[in-house]
Amino acid sequence: MSSQTPNAKTASALPPFKHVDILQTPTSLLYANLQPVLLLSILLFSFKTLVQDPVNTLLGLAPTVTILQGLYCALCLPSTNQAPTTTSKPGQKKKPAKPAQDVWAKVVPALLSLLLVLVLSTPILYIIVILFGAPLTTHQPHTILLAFHLALLTTPQLYYAHGLEAQTWYKLVSLQLPVDELLGMSLGACTGAWIGAIPIPLDWDREWQKWPVTIVVGLYVGAVVGKLLGGYLFKGWRIKLS
Amino acid sequence: MANEGGVARPSATSEDRTDRKQSSIQFKAQHALVLAFFILILPSIFHALAIYLFCSGFLLSRFVLPDRSQCAQPPIELSNGHVPGSHERGCWHPKSFDKAVIILVDALRYDFTVPFRPQSGDEQPHHFHNALPVLYETAVQSPHNAFLRPFIADPPTTTLQRLKGLTTGSLPTLIDAGSNFAGTAIDEDNLIEQLFLAGKKVVHLGDDTWHSLFPGYFEPNLTRPYDSFNVWDLHTLDNGVNEHIFPLLEPDMTGRWDVLIGHYLGVDHAGHRYGPDHPAMTDKLQQMDGVFRRMIEALDDSALMVVMGDHGMDAKGDHGGESDDEVEAALWMYSKQGIFGRSDPAFVEPPAIAKVRPVGQIDLVPTLSLLLGMPIPFNNLGQPIDEAFIGKDGVDYKNLAEVSRLTAHQIHGYQGEYAKARKLDDSATSSTNQLWQIASSTWQRAVRSRDAKDLTWKKAYGAFKAYEDENLRICKNLWARFDLVSMTMGIIALLGTFAVVLAYAQSVQGDRAALTPALLLYGAAGTAVGGAVGAVVSSIAPASMVQLAAFSAVLGGVIATLAALWPVREGLRIPYPSTFWGGLCFLSTLLLCVGFAANSFTIWEDEQLLFLLTTFGVLMLASSLGQNDAADRTFGAANSLSFLVATRLSSLSRLCREEQMPYCMSTYYASALSSTSAGWQTLIPFLVALALPFIIRYHYIRSKNYQGSAVIWVGIALRLALMLIAIFWVLNAADDGDWYPQIPKDTLSQRTIIAQSVLAIAVAAGYATYVWSPPLLLVRTEEAIPETNSTSKPLTVDSNAAILTTINDAPKPRNKLVILGYANTHGTRFFLLPTIWLPALLLVQKPMGQGTLALCAISILNLLEIIDANNLRRSPLGPVVLALMGSYYFFKTGHQAALATIQWESAFIPLKTIRYPWSPILVTLNTFGAHILCAIAVPAIAMWKVPPKLPGLLGRIAGAVATHVLFYSALTLATVVEAAWLRRHLMLYRVFMPRMLMASVVLLLVEFVSAIVAIGGVRWSMVSVATVFGYPEG
Repeated sequence: MSSQTPNAKTASALPPFKHVDILQTPTSLLYANLQPVLLLSILLFSFKTLVQDPVNTLLGLAPTVTILQGLYCALCLPSTNQAPTTTSKPGQKKKPAKPAQDVWAKVVPALLSLLLVLVLSTPILYIIVILFGAPLTTHQPHTILLAFHLALLTTPQLYYAHGLEAQTWYKLVSLQLPVDELLGMSLGACTGAWIGAIPIPLDWDREWQKWPVTIVVGLYVGAVVGKLLGGYLFKGWRIKLS
Repeated sequence: MANEGGVARPSATSEDRTDRKQSSIQFKAQHALVLAFFILILPSIFHALAIYLFCSGFLLSRFVLPDRSQCAQPPIELSNGHVPGSHERGCWHPKSFDKAVIILVDALRYDFTVPFRPQSGDEQPHHFHNALPVLYETAVQSPHNAFLRPFIADPPTTTLQRLKGLTTGSLPTLIDAGSNFAGTAIDEDNLIEQLFLAGKKVVHLGDDTWHSLFPGYFEPNLTRPYDSFNVWDLHTLDNGVNEHIFPLLEPDMTGRWDVLIGHYLGVDHAGHRYGPDHPAMTDKLQQMDGVFRRMIEALDDSALMVVMGDHGMDAKGDHGGESDDEVEAALWMYSKQGIFGRSDPAFVEPPAIAKVRPVGQIDLVPTLSLLLGMPIPFNNLGQPIDEAFIGKDGVDYKNLAEVSRLTAHQIHGYQGEYAKARKLDDSATSSTNQLWQIASSTWQRAVRSRDAKDLTWKKAYGAFKAYEDENLRICKNLWARFDLVSMTMGIIALLGTFAVVLAYAQSVQGDRAALTPALLLYGAAGTAVGGAVGAVVSSIAPASMVQLAAFSAVLGGVIATLAALWPVREGLRIPYPSTFWGGLCFLSTLLLCVGFAANSFTIWEDEQLLFLLTTFGVLMLASSLGQNDAADRTFGAANSLSFLVATRLSSLSRLCREEQMPYCMSTYYASALSSTSAGWQTLIPFLVALALPFIIRYHYIRSKNYQGSAVIWVGIALRLALMLIAIFWVLNAADDGDWYPQIPKDTLSQRTIIAQSVLAIAVAAGYATYVWSPPLLLVRTEEAIPETNSTSKPLTVDSNAAILTTINDAPKPRNKLVILGYANTHGTRFFLLPTIWLPALLLVQKPMGQGTLALCAISILNLLEIIDANNLRRSPLGPVVLALMGSYYFFKTGHQAALATIQWESAFIPLKTIRYPWSPILVTLNTFGAHILCAIAVPAIAMWKVPPKLPGLLGRIAGAVATHVLFYSALTLATVVEAAWLRRHLMLYRVFMPRMLMASVVLLLVEFVSAIVAIGGVRWSMVSVATVFGYPEG
């Protein structure tokens, strides 16, 4: 109750955070809707090999998912320095000039976001996965690849859209930003992975219960569900941690 | 408001003094009432009664008598001229066989052994039909040599329980309360022990369960135990038994053994793995068929051969329950002497189904005993099997009556002893007494008529049999049935108590402490009235008075306590989780509770708790990062990280339970097979002694509370105690590992003095400090204006309290009176209490456990700081996370929810012999150290960094403690309901019942500690703070 006063005070001091809308061009709309389908079908088609040989399958999937996520950033999202107001008017005509420069303005941040996934998110998420009880002495390739896939689905879109500013990220991780497609996807992926850990201890003696198959499945399904929920049903909601 | 009344003014008027005295009395009275509420009403008594009710219906116990039957002392004088006392001729009855080959085929269901006869026209035989014809064939073709009968098991149909029944002749119960509580070895009279003591050579081959039941009774050179664990392996064990059993049947091995026990597991494993209707089962049964044919050929004339199943299997091939398919096994006896007969020629053909002419599995015990010339084990309830004693022609009723009379007298003697030991009255056995009279007089008549015809003997046999049947029926009723009525009463009482705790902890929004007197009064009155009503009703209704009185006492108390909340209903809210953290606490408690319905989740509870605690840790980290105040953000995040690392670090300490193998590696001791610590582990206590006081000191210094008693206690006494503990454990390891053989053992065993002095420091010095210490403050007069940019922020948002507070009190405007440590007066003063319990709790842990318990203490401090940084004092987060930590560190201090992991040896840390009540207290401190530490720390959540004159603090503390208790009562309720629901589950004894018992014990213990130690301890802390700052107004 009482904590609202200072929050409101400081919130006004900082730039107001709005939820991120995806770009309204036909290409981006098409791809934004295609991406969940692609992610789920990848999972569906590789499930059998994932169970048989998790390491090689996850390794093999990594480039594809990286490209999918990179395309999503470049095609559908407004990048950090793009004012969201310019994109929210679909009728407005853009300058047709300098298309090449325009493309680079999107590709470079997308590549940077993917680089950050590799050097920043993956190590952090690897530590978090270990903290949650992942095996410490065995299954290292499994866990590292799991962390990489987790990072791929949760973070590049956030880097691309929100940049690297500390204040923004404090708000992001403490879930103070309004829910949108991007945050929904990240949260969904985390929640899905969390739920995915639950069936592991059951004594069903199934092949698919092995590390980290259930978590990967939960992660992908969660990301897609979270993206859809965040993009449509809960758009603009705020989660209050405290 | 905190700034105004912040300091005791030196010039307090006498009016002030009387006011203060009054509020002091007021506070103490209120505290006493809250304490009384926590002891009498809220949890302890209600829960104790509820758990008593449930357990009295659930844990049916049979008292194990230590008596043994003696060869030379038959239960009754023999009438047939046989001289008792000789193993050569037979102890109580002339023996028929010198040797026996007893083959146990695990899960040999009766219909595997008889030819398939379609019940309806078009029914086809299954894979398990007609694959093992040898037993049936021999019984039909040579009835004097063999017979085959259904063999009914007493549930539970698990091998261990069945072997007990097959050797003692007694009925299984959940807990055989005897002298040997922890071990699995049978400690009542049994056939194997009788054989062993008579000097017979017993050889065992196959399933190693026998060895945990009868350790050391088998011929060591010839015996070959095999691991029974791997149900996927159908052949290793069976082939091993075959490999060793046939050489023993050769003539040149005569004299090397008297009784040969072979236990095959292939059929059982085929059932578990494939189910009975599978070609693998056909193969397995055909293999068994061949084995038995070979054995029959090799069998000596003087030997008896027995083939039997210990239980059957259900349609899926599993067993453990009491369905028909699971209890219907087969029994086949064979001998080349041809002494078996039938009382009716029609009985030559074995029954087509197991419902016809079955024998009980316990009947094997008197039959085998008498055939081999052994005394019948003292606790036996079975009766001799007709075929073995009625003679070739089926007319020797005199012999049959004689053995039946012997058995009946043995049972009668046992019943007499049992009634004496349990102080039972005659009412329970009146119907057997009547039958006993009839049987005795019938026997007398038969003896007196010199030329008694078979008919007279037949009558006598029938009379004894009737007595034995009735006796067995009564015993089954007494021991082998769950009492659903008292179980239901227990569950209802638990549910009601849960509602009271829930309402008190989460519904009340105003000041709980002010509400408590009414609740106490109503609750006590309701309990008394309920108890009285129950007692009166039970005198009319046919129910146990104690149970009914207990039940209605709880019910009355619950209703009255809830009714006491009615007048203040405006101040209540429906206790649903309304915040994010409340929802998370609810979710994790719910997940745990639901998980206890699955044996896998119960087995892997330690990993689940790590997962849940890490979830909380990561989210607390995220929440801390979102704090606007930079200091809060940094400190909250740093403490969250420390919490996460401490939790994961302590997860490296593991003691695996059997069911976790092979996916778990024990690290708690030097190796998986030892219970002593490794050498390097003795360094852990030194590390704890160095680091732990330092970390506690750091938290005290941070809020400037490292003053006065804190310096003496944390800085000196605690360090000394921890160092002594470390030295103690080095000496202990030196003794265990024999590091210095030149030092006599007596010198090393003097280490108990060190342990005693640690306890003395904790109890005497610690409590003296805690009770008499003033608040940990420093008051200083300063000339200059103190700097205001302190590292800390206003502590609670609703107050302006600061670590450094300036008070314009002195006449000189420039002089400032500064109180160092003002901000965390309550928290640091109270937190002395957990730290004085720390040495006592650490002392009784093994070195590894000391490391994890120290990490637990650090995590508690982290949690307090995180809760302060995020201002979550009033959320259920703190009490629930502490409860999760208590449960988690229980596992990390080398325990599991299984009786086998209790570290009994911890009783001998400060003592050399068992001494009551100290030894059980020490084992309790060892087992539930983490639960105790966390329960004591709960009030600190409400007190950490709150202003000294915060109104309603006692009510908030009561709320936090009640929330903590709420978690454990939810777990108890869930495990109790699930144990009742799964009472026929295969894993009941191994998984669900131990967890239910543990939840109940933990609940009662945590309630006791929360009330007496935590809430009781709050009194001194709060009075001490109030002596300086005064009591809050209103």
